[in-house]
Amino acid sequence: MAINPISLNVGRVTEANHTAVTPDKAQKTFANFLKDAINQVNDMQIQSDHLTQKMALGENVELHDVMIASQKASIALQATMEVRNKVVEAYQEIMRMQV
Amino acid sequence: MFSSLNITSSALTAQRLRMDVISSNVANVDSTRAKYVNGNWVPYRRKMVVLETKGDQFSNLLNKAMNKGTVPSGVKVSRIVEDETPYKLVYNPDHPDANEDGYVQMPNVDPLKEMVDLINATRSYEANVTVFNASKSMLVKALDIGK
Repeated sequence: MAINPISLNVGRVTEANHTAVTPDKAQKTFANFLKDAINQVNDMQIQSDHLTQKMALGENVELHDVMIASQKASIALQATMEVRNKVVEAYQEIMRMQV
Repeated sequence: MFSSLNITSSALTAQRLRMDVISSNVANVDSTRAKYVNGNWVPYRRKMVVLETKGDQFSNLLNKAMNKGTVPSGVKVSRIVEDETPYKLVYNPDHPDANEDGYVQMPNVDPLKEMVDLINATRSYEANVTVFNASKSMLVKALDIGK
């Protein structure tokens, strides 16, 4: 069965969207981005905790699912720590700058 | 980031279910009364799993239609089927389920086949755990970049 391509007549994105980003706005977007990322890591930790608790309570959970959730949470946290270390490093580098 | 881990997880779940089915087969190797059909007891039938590629079937088809190749997806047990080979007839007139001639219909479970399946499931599980560990150590190694 051949699928015909659908032609989309979407108007071009107007240049008006490219207004100058104020430092305040940029900071806010970055803060939100960071918050979302950290929330995702937190969700993984919660998921892992939840599964471990279920396992301990004797509910019908697969053991490998518990282990995999904990490993995922561990890797996500390690990645977060790496990002934090880099951020702190960059901050310290800037603070050392001669003025 | 974790798609390989999710795929491995699905495979482990599938192999666990396969293991459950095998244990059911081994446990019911002598069960002459599995189902009650039209006033007669029917022996247990050997069960087998059918494995199927998991994933968004539609998105895979769409990708194929657009020549984009399929995205990797896990595995799942699509259904559990029964082995339709005939029951074994054993001469045992004392058995309560024996027919007029003294023969009993025994389940079509072959312990030898079950043992082979068991090894197969165990090794598959191990292989998937190895994949998981390799995938994990790859991710941990990636975190070492720039240290």
